[in-house]
Amino acid sequence: MDLLAQILVNGVLQGGLYAVMALGLALVWGVLNIVNLAHGAFIMLGGYASWYLYTYLHIDPFLGLPLTAVVMFALGYGIQRGLLNLVIRAPMFNTLLITFGLEVVLTYLAQLVFSADFRTINPPYAGSSLALGPLVLPVARMAAFAVAIILTVGMWLFLLHTRLGRAIRATAQNLVAARLYGVEPRHLYAMTFGLGIALAGMAGTLYGTVSQINPYIGASLTAKSFAISIIGGLENPLGVLVGGLFLGIVESLTTLYIGQTYADVASFGILVLVLIVRPGGLLGRTT
Amino acid sequence: MKMWKIGLVLAALAVLAGVPWYGSDVLIQFGINALLLAVLAQGWNIIGGYTGYASFGNSVFYGLGGYGVAIAMVQWQLPFAVGMGFGVVLAVVFAVLLGIPVLRLKGHYFAIATLALSQVMTAIVSNVGIAGQNIGLVLPPLNNDPLFYELSLGLLTIATLTIWGMTRSRFGFGLIAIRENEEGAAVMGVNTTLYKVMAFALSGIFSALAGGIHAYWVTFLDPASAFDISLNVKMIIMAVFGGPGTVLGPIVGALTLSTISEFLSSEVTSIAGLFFGLVIVVAVVLMPRGLADMLRRMRKMGWGYFIENIRAHRL
Repeated sequence: MDLLAQILVNGVLQGGLYAVMALGLALVWGVLNIVNLAHGAFIMLGGYASWYLYTYLHIDPFLGLPLTAVVMFALGYGIQRGLLNLVIRAPMFNTLLITFGLEVVLTYLAQLVFSADFRTINPPYAGSSLALGPLVLPVARMAAFAVAIILTVGMWLFLLHTRLGRAIRATAQNLVAARLYGVEPRHLYAMTFGLGIALAGMAGTLYGTVSQINPYIGASLTAKSFAISIIGGLENPLGVLVGGLFLGIVESLTTLYIGQTYADVASFGILVLVLIVRPGGLLGRTT
Repeated sequence: MKMWKIGLVLAALAVLAGVPWYGSDVLIQFGINALLLAVLAQGWNIIGGYTGYASFGNSVFYGLGGYGVAIAMVQWQLPFAVGMGFGVVLAVVFAVLLGIPVLRLKGHYFAIATLALSQVMTAIVSNVGIAGQNIGLVLPPLNNDPLFYELSLGLLTIATLTIWGMTRSRFGFGLIAIRENEEGAAVMGVNTTLYKVMAFALSGIFSALAGGIHAYWVTFLDPASAFDISLNVKMIIMAVFGGPGTVLGPIVGALTLSTISEFLSSEVTSIAGLFFGLVIVVAVVLMPRGLADMLRRMRKMGWGYFIENIRAHRL
């Protein structure tokens, strides 16, 4: 029983992290109608950014989050403005393919620049944990989970209550109408993509504090983010949070009862099942 | 097709077929790899190029074909040809079982549903005893590169002839109709589910045969190399670069990009990977309909062709 409780706690902590990973993907997908296959690669870049900040400048990964976010935002804004805006009206397959190409470019650039070695961001509190009755709560995972919840709820409030957030939601619903109300789509698209990439970067920081990063983690993280977006729907960050927690728990249970190697199979199985039964997402609108 | 075009294709085929007689060992080995990649690109062309369902998981069929040969030859001591047949059966069963649910998804959902396939298969096969788990299987060696070369070339020829025949058949027109407008195709009486599953299976058959030849050639197979994810990158970009939905485009794409990548990787290995990524990005922006379309239209429009492509799709 204790073991099961511990596994569930692990799943929930991991799930919060998954939610932040998927948040940026869902945002970009919902507003720009681009399924960004390079999303995982941006998460990887964020992880390396924090690793370098910590290793060479001794900036704590959690304190360095805003810095990572700003750098990644600028990168995302530039990529959307200079590249993706050029193909945004092409058929979906073309935008899918170009982000696939970006993923390959980023992965191999990372391999050239950062080398293929595994890296972990190791702040002094990395190994410590709190005991709550029979449960063990690792400090770094707790902190990552807390940041994940703050980011998700913050994103939700931002989309609901700020001018930019409202413009983003309006664009997602109807580009032509939003344009008539003074939204400049080139700028707004770039802002949205930048925001998505900033979220990916911060997710990478959190990922780097709780597991290892290497240049090749991108593809599987993209697949997980995609599965979560499908489960949670694209409209609401809180739905993504539920999707993330769900996937985290399912993976933990799969690891416990079936085996470590099947964790990825589980998320894929859920993904295919959800796509077939409810293509609009478990929590999303049915179309 | 005009007579001179047929002549040109036959001449190119003769030059390729003659490589084992006048080429070096290195050239033959490069040729086997390039030809097998061209088969994969042609296989992808059927489902991605003609039907419009971009599969990001076709390397699964390649892996199944390899395991078909490896299991038949190592575990059951059967001849190579039987193994190839077994691989094809595995691929078709997989294509039908997975295709019926997944091909109901609209284009891009399908693409992403297939994205994680090779990872999933790696995880599953690593636990299957008869497939050697994650240690892999060692096949009986056959030191005959010219034979493997001619087998690969033969397979590519059959795949290409099949596609050529397909484009002039009811089946091929049905696939193109599905790509252009699936509801419309259904209204016109195309059994879309049947056609899509058949296209997926046909695509799988050629990929599996390529995998079988490759497994016997390198005489070793483990889950990571069988379901190699980078193969998906390569086959898609080769088909798209050459011209998806054309008979010869994917072959031209495969042979061109294989040659360039071979020169690049002789300098620095990871540069070749970077190169493939850059080609995808540049091709999608400047020549989204591939080399074939570019060559045809650049004669009239010159450099304006690239500007026209950007203008058509930018915000």
